[in-house]
Amino acid sequence: MWQLDTGTIITLFTIMFAVGGIVLGSVVPALMEGKAVQKALEGMTRQPDSANDLRTTLLISMALLESTAIYSLLVVLILIFGNPLLDRFFG
Amino acid sequence: MEAIAPQVVFYLFGLPITDTVVSTWVMMVMLIIIALIIRKYAPHIGEFIIEMINSIVSSVMPEDVRVIQFLPFLGTLALFLVLGIFSASSHSWCPPLPTSTQPLPCHCWSFFAVHYFGIREKGLWGYIKDTASPIFVFPLEVISQLSRTLSLTIRLFGNVLSTDLVVAIIFSLIPFIVPLPLAALGMLTGVLQAYIFTVLASLYIASAIEIANVEEERRQMKQELKKS
Repeated sequence: MWQLDTGTIITLFTIMFAVGGIVLGSVVPALMEGKAVQKALEGMTRQPDSANDLRTTLLISMALLESTAIYSLLVVLILIFGNPLLDRFFG
Repeated sequence: MEAIAPQVVFYLFGLPITDTVVSTWVMMVMLIIIALIIRKYAPHIGEFIIEMINSIVSSVMPEDVRVIQFLPFLGTLALFLVLGIFSASSHSWCPPLPTSTQPLPCHCWSFFAVHYFGIREKGLWGYIKDTASPIFVFPLEVISQLSRTLSLTIRLFGNVLSTDLVVAIIFSLIPFIVPLPLAALGMLTGVLQAYIFTVLASLYIASAIEIANVEEERRQMKQELKKS
């Protein structure tokens, strides 16, 4: 059996959870943004008069939806580049 | 992580001046010089920009509000964000926006501006009373205001930083022509981000004013009921 020290284990788990986190955190908001775009396009084709209002609302809600992906990106960046656990054990 | 943290360049009267502050000063000087040049030589371009910002802001404001009173703040915010994001995605000098401290003041200003416009519209006591119209909403309102500022800050920081990182990684792999389309895409999304943050700031201002309007209408209806 491998003899892994604490730093290796922490690094391994950090990388695993960072990759999992960025996959989940980017795929789910992308799916939901696609849903929002789909509904807005349906509304635009059904009522072309309200296309401008729909576009403004769509952009704002896309920005709000995207923010969760950006939060997960920042958390992953902190985990990879400035891991606080590694500093605690080996600082 | 060292690239994200601002670094102290020099000391002014004992205060540490970071590179973020210096590049913000450069951007301020650039904005002023561009504005002077446009005013002197091509005033129709300035008219076009003001019309554009005016149409953006008035698309989310309620219709009976004079939009022109918010334009000095919101237009400055929009132009500053556009210039900052351009400087971040063109890598021309040390860009202020992807460092961890610069996006906060922008949104602190929009936080204060929301309350300033709300108080100017309604008066101090009236604004507080409207914000806390059922009294148990007041702590929730305070928390939502603060967390909104924090979330806007993190969002702007993450947006600019993610584009920046992607361009940097591609640049470290193939430092020739290939990063150019990505940088152009970064500029496009940057303009979109500036648009979205301007719209969000004007939405928050609109919500702060609209509460006042609703309360006023309710009061007028009550007075009319009393008269009849």
